[in-house]
Amino acid sequence: MLNKGKETVSYLRNVMGAYMTELGKRDEKVVVVNADLSGTCRNTDFCKAYPERAFNTGIAEQNMISFAAGLAHEGFIPYTFSMAPFLTMRACEQCRTDVAYANLSVRLMGVYAGVSGGISGATHWALEDCGIMCAIPGMVVLEPSDAVQAKKMLDATLQYNGPIYIRSSVEPVKDIYDENCQFEVGSSTVLREGNDGTFLCSGVIVQYALEAAEIIRKQVGAEIRVVDMYSIKPIDENAIVSACMTGNIIVAQDHNIIGGLGSMVATVIAETGNGVKFRILGINDKFEAMAHANYLYRLNGIDTNGLVQSMLNMLRSN
Amino acid sequence: MLNSVYELEKAALDIRKQLLSLCNKEVIHIGGDLSITDIMTVLWQYQMKYNPENTKDEKRDRFVLSKGHASAVTSFNQAAIGCFKAEDVIKEYATDQGRFSMHSCNLVNPFVEVSTGSLGHGLPIACGMAAALRLKGNTTSRVYTVMGDGEQSEGSIWEAVANAKRYQLGNLVAIVDYNGLEADGFLDEITGLGNIAEKYRTFGWNVKEFDGNDITVIKQNFDSLPPADSMIPTVFVCHTVKGKGVSFMENQMRWHAGKINDEQLEECIFHLDKAFERRWNKC
Repeated sequence: MLNKGKETVSYLRNVMGAYMTELGKRDEKVVVVNADLSGTCRNTDFCKAYPERAFNTGIAEQNMISFAAGLAHEGFIPYTFSMAPFLTMRACEQCRTDVAYANLSVRLMGVYAGVSGGISGATHWALEDCGIMCAIPGMVVLEPSDAVQAKKMLDATLQYNGPIYIRSSVEPVKDIYDENCQFEVGSSTVLREGNDGTFLCSGVIVQYALEAAEIIRKQVGAEIRVVDMYSIKPIDENAIVSACMTGNIIVAQDHNIIGGLGSMVATVIAETGNGVKFRILGINDKFEAMAHANYLYRLNGIDTNGLVQSMLNMLRSN
Repeated sequence: MLNSVYELEKAALDIRKQLLSLCNKEVIHIGGDLSITDIMTVLWQYQMKYNPENTKDEKRDRFVLSKGHASAVTSFNQAAIGCFKAEDVIKEYATDQGRFSMHSCNLVNPFVEVSTGSLGHGLPIACGMAAALRLKGNTTSRVYTVMGDGEQSEGSIWEAVANAKRYQLGNLVAIVDYNGLEADGFLDEITGLGNIAEKYRTFGWNVKEFDGNDITVIKQNFDSLPPADSMIPTVFVCHTVKGKGVSFMENQMRWHAGKINDEQLEECIFHLDKAFERRWNKC
């Protein structure tokens, strides 16, 4: 299941944008709706291959989502693409009222997840998107960590009945999985076994957690589990309850520390009555000036070194 | 389907009486219901292709109530064509799990194509539906949407207005209930919208502006709609009177929503009947 031996990276935006042509070939109900970012979201191949199924509303995200809802009412499966902050905040009410209330199979594709928009600055960062979308009844929230998984995720969107939000980073991600990787809404993948502590992560941070777990093993001999929590809602409760048995849980995501994967995990831990040392890492509830994503990950302690230090501190506090 | 102006005016009279009966029981958006009663009666009981026995018929016309608070006048018109009984609307309105309430909800009422209530959503959704019909090769169905005039302040409306022209949605018919009043007062005092018809014209729409409480004129305008497979979207900017037909409600801001007592109900119905009789020389 895991991609061993190769040290390659992918850009999820390119992979997912290009894969839309494949989905369009498989199902003629697939349509793409853009709001003047078809190039940025890498939909140009789809637009060329299926011009009659490619719509562009211009810079009008609210209309993009409502228009897609109208297409879905008539039986199509619209994939709406924009930068995650515009999609989830400018068009928030349309996502909720026009799409989710009607339980329509609209796919909300938010690129520029977290601070991956980097030097574009906070206007182009999605620090709140998971919190917003998770709070919408019936909305599925997903985040791929690698290219193969992203395609499996998109495959699943052809079958799933109901709204789905997929956030994806524009930072490069390591190729983690091989073609046998499994994807299921509401599940997760254990990427590395371990019983001394657990990293629960999603998206771009998963690769850092894998590196951190290896460093920790070398430094102190502790075996840290790494779980890819690609389904943020519904969340894999069993994976969380199991992680509690390791005694130390660190959740890390490129999202504000409030409202993201960490909040979803915390709820499960509290509701299941498990006692465990627990910490949420992410963007520390503060706007920063524009900077590269890697700098921001370091600043907020969600790069490899930050994860190592946080886990070592937790292990030492035993 | 009703054909003559007399039949349609009689039907509109019945709808007004039903609205007032409901208004005697519950608070409803009576002002805006009454202003579009004539348009809705012609639309539902004359113009639209819609079979209550087959709500998913691909060949049907679609209806999106963009001014979602006009749910009562929609429900009574749907009752008139056999979707359910008018008594059901009065009985179930604003009850827990009832099919009818302040806004239309598809979760309990299958005759509602799109659940609405928040303003500025209906036209954009209707655009998507109209584009979908084109994509499916349906050249005969239309998508109708009824909006408020105050609702024209929502930016999303104008996003959709541009979009509908761009995608040549001649199968889209938007109707603006231009009664001049919104919740807080007169439109002209609250917004800087100015001439609504002119704005649609500037966007390249086919614009018809007429008296939205005159059934003869409404019918003529529906009769002369361009074919569904044409390329330019149509808007009816309908000049109406909020509270139309009830003297103490007409053009009164306080009757945006409200409830009437038994005495008022009796008085309203008496005057509505009288006016109808006078018009058709039945006295």
